[in-house]
Amino acid sequence: MRLVARLLAAWAMVSASTPVEAYLKLGASIDGRVVDVTWRAPVRYFVSDADADGGVSASDLRGAVSRASATWQAVSSATVRLEFLGMTAAVPGMVDGRTTLGFQDRPELDRVLAATSFLIDTTDGAIVEADVFFNSRFKWSVAAAGTPGRVDLESVALHELGHLLGLSHSALGETELTGSGGRRVIASGAVMFPIAMAPGTIADRVLQADDRAGISDLYPATGQLTSTGGITGRVTKNGQGLLGAHVVALNPETGAMVANFALNAKGEFAIVRLEPGPYILRVEPLDDAEVESFFSTAIDVDFRVAYASRMVVAPRGGASAPIEIKVVPK
Amino acid sequence: MKLHRVPGVPTVPGWCLVLVLVLGAGAAYAQDAPDLRAPRLVLDGGIMWSGSYGIGDATALLRSNATGSTPPPFTLFSASSEVGSAPGAVARVGFTLTPRLAVEGGVAFGMPRIHVAITRDVEASPQPLEGEQLKQYLFDAAVVWHLPRRGGARLRPFVVGGGGYLRQLHEERTLVETGQLYYFGFGARYWLRGGSGTARAFGLRGDLRANLRRGGIDFEDKNRVFPTLAVHLFLSL
Repeated sequence: MRLVARLLAAWAMVSASTPVEAYLKLGASIDGRVVDVTWRAPVRYFVSDADADGGVSASDLRGAVSRASATWQAVSSATVRLEFLGMTAAVPGMVDGRTTLGFQDRPELDRVLAATSFLIDTTDGAIVEADVFFNSRFKWSVAAAGTPGRVDLESVALHELGHLLGLSHSALGETELTGSGGRRVIASGAVMFPIAMAPGTIADRVLQADDRAGISDLYPATGQLTSTGGITGRVTKNGQGLLGAHVVALNPETGAMVANFALNAKGEFAIVRLEPGPYILRVEPLDDAEVESFFSTAIDVDFRVAYASRMVVAPRGGASAPIEIKVVPK
Repeated sequence: MKLHRVPGVPTVPGWCLVLVLVLGAGAAYAQDAPDLRAPRLVLDGGIMWSGSYGIGDATALLRSNATGSTPPPFTLFSASSEVGSAPGAVARVGFTLTPRLAVEGGVAFGMPRIHVAITRDVEASPQPLEGEQLKQYLFDAAVVWHLPRRGGARLRPFVVGGGGYLRQLHEERTLVETGQLYYFGFGARYWLRGGSGTARAFGLRGDLRANLRRGGIDFEDKNRVFPTLAVHLFLSL
């Protein structure tokens, strides 16, 4: 068994050869094909006993992780199992066969709240171990209503547990550039959006439709594959496929939004685990987050927002006929 | 038929003669024709026009970056949708219980389009989408009450009320949405020819209805009201 450890921040999840079946999830290239990176057994984790600065203890972290775990496990369309095994003196990032979450002082990562690393069996994509560190350089909060000026630990734990389970980032959100060269979130449609909400906010303790669709794709509950549907299609610009176009599907009846990218050079996309019904499709360039958060290759972001010419039906237990969405340069 | 010109009497084109003969036949039976004799089957078939109606607005909302557990959402875009007006075909079978009262059932088919208009987008201007064509079936039953004659011996107004099962099939034919339709309206029959002996009475029928639709394709799960107008040929057996 070959084992490879990778840090999520450096994860190169998408390439031109990635099949369109890939969702916003982590993938491992095995013998020329990309397979889902998932747990094949319940996730059994430890919490490091190191405290963070500013009065947030390891016990507080344990509580926040426990609540975040419960949130993922409560997704009825998915089967997720997370079990807390105990506190440990081990620190995250060590290859020790234990999945460990804990605070770590990482002053060199002054813009990284937390990160997840994996140990993956590269013969089948199974996750063997995953560690999450929460950067103790930041001021954390575990207050029920949040604390002004402090980052909500449960919200970030929910995001990192999404990674730990195999989800990648979602691009469903709007941002603006800040004077310091960073980005500020205006709004997001997924807990898995790569940029955190402002300190003091607690809204990201609740999963959104995009998160639920993603986790349901990785760990579908019984009957999910036959009770949900998918939408397939192709985004083109000047007749050529458009790798990296971000496609958002809105269910006009429920308001749920689920998104994915055109994931190959043909511009093909697939959005799966959708509630059956008609959807409005909107295509946008990836201009609200760093491209490197999603793609290891260059992508074209020079096009205007466009819509599919008609609503597309996600049929129960199947996928729509492919629809072509044409975009034009800005 | 060979026409002989009679001095002082102008000749008329052949089609006018045919029209005169048909209307003349109708006139010959006019005195006893404009009643639906009971019990009797009446077949109807024709065309209809269905009015448009909204099926709701949808808004793509993002969770805004603001404090509090339920900050006001951010609108990514909004869409307004309607089922467009469309022609259709109607076929009905009626049974006259009394000269005034009839029951009938039928099927109507139409192919309206769902029109979607993007009304608010943070990065794009408002725009209509081409939309999607539905296949729509209505299976219904109704009660028809004929009123006293109006406007001549061959015109018989009526009021009608009924309901039915609505079946709407999306363009890709992978999803069916169902609902109910209830309607009330009025109309009139105009006998072109009355029936006598083995001859069949037939004529024209016009209906104007107000429809209440429940279920079916709707993004707000609301009841919708829309008009239909139909013109049929009917044949009394």
